[in-house]
Amino acid sequence: MKPLNLLALLLFLAGATWALTRSERFVRDIQVAYFKIINPTLTAGSALETKARKFLDETENSKSLETKLNAINGEIGRLRIIESQFAALKRENKELRHALDFKKATNFDVVAAQIIRRHPTTWWQTMDIDAGEDRKIGIQLSVLSNEGLVGIIDRPFAHRSSVLLITDEKCQVSVRVEGTPEVGILSGQRGKFDNNPILRLRFLSKEASLKAGQRVFTTGRGGIFQSNILVGTILSVEKGPIDSEALVAPAVNFSDLGTVFVVLSETP
Amino acid sequence: MLRYNLSTVLLLLIAFLVQQFVPAFTGLSHARILVVQLVFLCCAVTVTTPTMLLLAFLGGILWDAHCYLSPIIADPEVYTQPVESLRFGYSILLFGVAGFLMQGLNPIFRQGKWHFSAILSGIAIFLYLAAEFILISFIRGEFTISRSILRLMFYTSVLTMCVSPVIFWILYQIANLFDHPLHPEARNSKRR
Repeated sequence: MKPLNLLALLLFLAGATWALTRSERFVRDIQVAYFKIINPTLTAGSALETKARKFLDETENSKSLETKLNAINGEIGRLRIIESQFAALKRENKELRHALDFKKATNFDVVAAQIIRRHPTTWWQTMDIDAGEDRKIGIQLSVLSNEGLVGIIDRPFAHRSSVLLITDEKCQVSVRVEGTPEVGILSGQRGKFDNNPILRLRFLSKEASLKAGQRVFTTGRGGIFQSNILVGTILSVEKGPIDSEALVAPAVNFSDLGTVFVVLSETP
Repeated sequence: MLRYNLSTVLLLLIAFLVQQFVPAFTGLSHARILVVQLVFLCCAVTVTTPTMLLLAFLGGILWDAHCYLSPIIADPEVYTQPVESLRFGYSILLFGVAGFLMQGLNPIFRQGKWHFSAILSGIAIFLYLAAEFILISFIRGEFTISRSILRLMFYTSVLTMCVSPVIFWILYQIANLFDHPLHPEARNSKRR
């Protein structure tokens, strides 16, 4: 090996060691600086992704409408387009009303946010929302939707935040099963990239008497999530020699998530 | 040569900006085009080892800044088995190894056969993702590889590899601009 290459390799290894031994605070500072620099493109990228998603949705709708138009005459087809537009507006209206009701009905002080980016990294189940420190959002705050628990804030920035979804293996939630004394730890499964992933509920008692369809709620223990938030429903139970495990279908439809709520505190 | 090397650094930084516009293909197991890794790999085959290592350090540290998850601080009495994260900076080493792999084909690339490098970039991306997944499994335990993971790695590698000719074309344009021959051996054989 040439002396210059050897020197470069040594410097590289020294640099890598330096990076690997940085404290969490230093890493956070690097991340803040990085996201501050790329923020304009991040915003543009998120907007583009949102537009692309809307466009694809519209394309899908157009295809189904085209099939219908071939089957019926032009007049009925035209009316159906109008009808579908009304249906979309009605659905949107219902969703917004639902979200508004949720915000009014909840006992938490929440901030509503829109999802601007899904799965920005390869391995982690995360998404970005359009609310950040400017709206008092801090690290490790719970994120809910009107259907149930979504995840926790992983990294808050000035005007946006990254949310770690409960479908990620790293996000663990202390939960209880409705109507039973059973408590356990719920987490996502590694490498599950389906639209409706299944969660894994571990550390249940050996004799856990659970059945499919029972609902799972947060216990409020552990210092992260508030209690009595719906997380999902039991799909199946597998009994082991030491403890039992259950598979849980999340209450939230992650493939159709628009508005979420970040819980700032338990008092409204 | 210096101007070309500086251009590759600049190109890598631009790749980080471009990456923000590349969404995950939900229909293809959430695969995505890894623009940053691709630009690094294509540059790696055209530069000297010290420059490649500089690019690996820069690319790795910025990629980790982009992807790193914060540790979850929870009550250890409730969450008795916290899920570990990969340490910040691990990507630097992965970039370095992938860079050396690409440089292995440098003699062929210098003869003007960039196609092999383009194919190798796809293989390198696959190995990069596989190494990342193995590291995650090693740290968290329970090594399980499912079809969805394999599909994600395969589609990501193929999609990324398909873009590699564009990156090579950009590199050729930059090289021409700064009069930095990327295929000196091919040029010499033509002269002969």
